Amino acid sequence: MNSGLSAEFTALLPRIETLVVVLFFALFAMSFDFISGYTGYLSFGHAAFYGTGAYLVALAANDKLPLLGPETPFMLLLVLAGVAAAALALAIGSVSFRLSGVYFAMITLGFSQVLYVFVRDWDFVSTAPRDGVAVTEKLEGFQIGVPGVDALNVAIGQLTGDSVEGLLGFITLSPTEVSFYAIGAVVLVCYLAMQRLVHSPFGRTLIAIRENEERARAIGYNTYAYKLRAFVASGFFAGVAGALFVGFRRSVTPENGFYFLVAGDALLVSIIGGFGTLAGPLYGELFDAGVREFLSKEGGGGGLLPYLRANVGDATLATDIYNGLTVAEATDTFLNGHAALYVGLLFVLFVLYVPNGLLGTARDRMGGTLSKAVPRRLRRWFDG
Amino acid sequence: MLRTRGLTKRFGGLTAVDAVDFDLGGDELCSLIGPNGAGKTTFFNLLTGVLEPTEGTVELRTGPASTDGASGAGDDGNGDGDDWRDLTGAAPHEVANLGVHRSYQVTNVFANSTVLENVRVAAQAADGAGTNFWRNAGQLDRYIEEAYDILDRVGLADSADVPARALSHGAKRQLEVGVALAGDPDVLLLDEPNAGVSSESVDRVVDLIEDVAADHAVLLVEHNMDIVMEVSDRVVVLNQGAVIADDEPAAVRDDPAVQRAYLGGYEPGTAGGDAAEGTGDPDGADGTDGGEPA
Repeated sequence: MNSGLSAEFTALLPRIETLVVVLFFALFAMSFDFISGYTGYLSFGHAAFYGTGAYLVALAANDKLPLLGPETPFMLLLVLAGVAAAALALAIGSVSFRLSGVYFAMITLGFSQVLYVFVRDWDFVSTAPRDGVAVTEKLEGFQIGVPGVDALNVAIGQLTGDSVEGLLGFITLSPTEVSFYAIGAVVLVCYLAMQRLVHSPFGRTLIAIRENEERARAIGYNTYAYKLRAFVASGFFAGVAGALFVGFRRSVTPENGFYFLVAGDALLVSIIGGFGTLAGPLYGELFDAGVREFLSKEGGGGGLLPYLRANVGDATLATDIYNGLTVAEATDTFLNGHAALYVGLLFVLFVLYVPNGLLGTARDRMGGTLSKAVPRRLRRWFDG
Repeated sequence: MLRTRGLTKRFGGLTAVDAVDFDLGGDELCSLIGPNGAGKTTFFNLLTGVLEPTEGTVELRTGPASTDGASGAGDDGNGDGDDWRDLTGAAPHEVANLGVHRSYQVTNVFANSTVLENVRVAAQAADGAGTNFWRNAGQLDRYIEEAYDILDRVGLADSADVPARALSHGAKRQLEVGVALAGDPDVLLLDEPNAGVSSESVDRVVDLIEDVAADHAVLLVEHNMDIVMEVSDRVVVLNQGAVIADDEPAAVRDDPAVQRAYLGGYEPGTAGGDAAEGTGDPDGADGTDGGEPA
């Protein structure tokens, strides 16, 4: 694209690599929102399920697990990762749901930190467990698609993925773009499944528990059993998200799998996107990743800093502002590597002024879910 | 329908409920009265599994009734055709699923859900459908229709789409009863449904109580003696955790012990139909004790 604004678009829009990460991390954040936003129980240890899914795929691909090898189809691994995480959720949840409020959050956090420390020092996973596991035994990419039909499978990964050229005569996609659509399809299926749960009588019961657990019990709901079921379902989808993460990145470390701040990021994007909205965390993650990338210097050409460097005149950049500090140095000081700081400030502003998050606020304004409110508005607009 | 034997609850040194033998008949409206702190709400909490009794039993009749008498006294549950189910120590949701539902003294509903959803989610619970995770709740018309029927009955059909928190106080009290009704109970425990309701709205709630009593066994906690005298088949008086009278309304009213402990010279229809209040009990401190003149 060579329009007049291409430099601005390059600076503003996240790269495709970032968007792939947005997809699978958003799935994880949605699974976090499914339990925390709908039942009101903050699952601070949610990283345990993400890490479990991720490690299961990495270990299977390195032929470390019985019955599973590098040849195991990735679609099967996705399900197994979900099941393993769900089983872990059943174990953790059956203990943790005996507590409520901040104690629940703390005990789930405790469980996930125990697993984090354990995985960090467990030399079964790799020779240097602190550095995590990289997929070394499987050279080709993990394949997403319809099981059993080769033509309907694509490999994902930045280096190992398939590229598409001339599909239908005009569609050409890089491996990362193929990964984007393939992972997006899995995320979409998972989202639709969770949405189904949220709108079912079961989901309504979860909302009743969030609104008033005492009354929910008094009208005949065994709230413990309901919360546990929701936790297991949530763990399943968190495990799938972790599996997608390794499928694309082909490595995982204790820090980006099991560490409690992984769940912290899910909480952050859930609040930015809208707590208890299910789809909100996707927008929250998109917003968060977009802002981070815009404010960081990484990414050839993208972001604010490279944009300023390229487009602000040399004379301006060399201007002395204060005591020998030039404009170039000042922008460097304030922008370079400080994305997290600004995101933190934005987060504070969100909690203060947009407590319902992006999607929650949009729904409040429109008076209902967007899928219903937007067509209604359009119809009214067209009808005059 | 529901009975207790020697039901006792102690909190440390305080005996809140003291060896209560109580029977509720299947088609009866029994009022439970007593000064603040007499143990009425604790008694409710024991019946519904919120608290576990220190001693004694709670039983619910689950089989056919041989007698449906007002008192039910003398039923020992042995060989007379009645089946009694022990509720002692059961969890609140188990009690509810066996058909004993309650309303609360302080409105305790799903505040951010709509009025319709409040009742719908209770109707869905009564059917055990809360585990259904594959259907869209908005398309299960059965529960929605059931909920509308109940909203009609409690007089809230016009407010179906309003969030419960936005209702007026009187309407919240009606919803409180509606949520309890939606569980399709056999026994309904109403904890001061009139608490804090303005005098204009009291009639509506009283009509609702009488309507509900027509097809449920009802245990009513009520401070307004005019209402108690009007609607009750039987009145049980609790004082310091113990039953001091258990009889027809007129007999209870004239009982000297009751007069001394609670009624304090109550005359029907006089201004301030409420019985003795303000004995320094926390129950009364929140101002929800129905202090409207009758």
